[in-house]
Amino acid sequence: MTVHAALSYREAIQAALADGFRFGGLHAAEGGAVVRTVLVGPEGTVRVESVRATGDSVPTIVDLVPAAGWDEREAHDLYGVGFDGHEPLRPLVEHDPTLSHWTVHVKGEDAYQVAVGPIHAGVIESGHFRIHVVGDRILHLDARLFYKHRGLERAAEGSSLEHGAAYVGRACAACAVANRLAYAHACEDTRGLDATPELARARTILLELERTWSHLNDIAAVCAGVGLAAGNTHFAALTERARRLNAVVGGHRFLFGAVEVGGSSLDLDADAVRRAREELGRIRGEASRGWRELQFNASFQDRLPDVGVLRPEEVDRLGTVGPAARAAGVARDVRADSPRLDYPGFQPRTPERPDGDVRARLEQRALELGQSFDVLGRLLDGPVRPALATAARSGSAIGVGLVESARGATLCVVEREGDRLARVRLRTGSYANWPSVAFAAADNLLPDFPLINKSFELCYACADR
Amino acid sequence: MLTLLRDLRRLRRTVSLPAPGRGRSLAVRHVDAGSCNGCEHELTLLASPYYDLQRFGLGVVASPRHADVLLVTGPVTTRMREPLLTAHAAMPEPRLVAALGDCALGCGVLGSPGELLGAVDTLLSVDLRIPGCPPTPETIATALLELVDRAHAG
Repeated sequence: MTVHAALSYREAIQAALADGFRFGGLHAAEGGAVVRTVLVGPEGTVRVESVRATGDSVPTIVDLVPAAGWDEREAHDLYGVGFDGHEPLRPLVEHDPTLSHWTVHVKGEDAYQVAVGPIHAGVIESGHFRIHVVGDRILHLDARLFYKHRGLERAAEGSSLEHGAAYVGRACAACAVANRLAYAHACEDTRGLDATPELARARTILLELERTWSHLNDIAAVCAGVGLAAGNTHFAALTERARRLNAVVGGHRFLFGAVEVGGSSLDLDADAVRRAREELGRIRGEASRGWRELQFNASFQDRLPDVGVLRPEEVDRLGTVGPAARAAGVARDVRADSPRLDYPGFQPRTPERPDGDVRARLEQRALELGQSFDVLGRLLDGPVRPALATAARSGSAIGVGLVESARGATLCVVEREGDRLARVRLRTGSYANWPSVAFAAADNLLPDFPLINKSFELCYACADR
Repeated sequence: MLTLLRDLRRLRRTVSLPAPGRGRSLAVRHVDAGSCNGCEHELTLLASPYYDLQRFGLGVVASPRHADVLLVTGPVTTRMREPLLTAHAAMPEPRLVAALGDCALGCGVLGSPGELLGAVDTLLSVDLRIPGCPPTPETIATALLELVDRAHAG
């Protein structure tokens, strides 16, 4: 890791992009004195390029990497860093009351705005959408999130690396395993620790259990978005079963606390493993049966194609990750390059017709459910015993963890001073994908927005932290 | 599709909730005041066939104008203060407030003090407390059904 002057920082980013690296995340550190960009290479290698602020600002990279837009706005709002060349630098975390400061100016005959939220009509997290429309046609969408900003990253500063996991875990229940795992990997990276095969196995089981309930939930959510009660209740029932299984296997329905820094205390005897495998087999069978029924429901299928389309070039530009990217045909998945986890020969899958629409995103969940059941079937083949990470090399001040959550690549950066947390940044798949939701909504009908939103099924809590 | 629906009835038998009474209802408006999304995910499953809370006359309504109970989750962030109070003020009398989950009760909350206001009862008087991190759907269901009884007794 190098700390650059302003000019060589941009050159370093350009060089990394030319070497095939992609943007992983950007954050302010040392109270805003330094900005760091994490870049992820083709085989999961990581580069961190840092730049020291001069006169409270650093050069922007948003022209080189549009996906850094939110990160730079956040660093400005929370740490007061200016980004030279990022114009206009709209507020993101800060809730500026002046509408023109945070929305795109849309004008024209009959153009008007529909304001939705922060409180929504059902059981939904809080967030505000400002939808610019003519009639029913969406011209543009400005999302204002961070109503749920709890300042978790700042609150975690100064705690021990072990205790820091509590703050990261609290960010989001739906991604508790993925987020804590990215954090644990980052901490272990700073300590020069590697996972043993036993530790990798235990953690991969937990991560795939989380993906299983999450994808079942997402299929139920799309059914609800279309108004198909039979499909919704079928997959909601399976979500409940998957969470009950979590409670049996990991002691908590959302597996809170199951991922720890430096090791795993997951302890399952042969009988417990066998019962878990059998229940997963039953859930798989029921899910396949429900999925088949959905294929033959014409009124359901008619609602899905060509809605909320995201094309591969937009995936690259916006930095879309996870099932949403793969549904557009971009076969990137952190699991294919996860030496700290147990995914030998893992191949990302994409739908037969990777159209990047609601239909493709729904099918992607079903494909990935199959993969998760396969991985779990392979790993649940004998007792799981507590395991510790082992010392492999010397430690470092900054560590990076990258994990594929149910929403996509989740990056965690840990900066430590001795055994204390100096800075932690969690950039979840939801955070990466919110701009894509806004983009995919444009040019669609206003009543389709809830369905488009459901097809991404992002967490607000994960983004707001 | 009908084959899917036929199987759902038996799922309820795995949960020990009382038989539905008659002629009672309670309309619930949920407000997320900064939760981690755990309470929301459990609340969503109350509509699943295991619990099927609508058969007890309990439904989540789209507007506070239609609500008897405001069901609040999360540690109440500074940014959710105003929307929460606005929703509460929009409810018709008599109105009840339920705090769902440990964060809403002010227990074990994590975050920066400047971003959080604290437990729901620092802003509104709370009629029902449902502890848990997050409370299971069964815990939530049992608590809400007691509230139905209480509302109709009082």
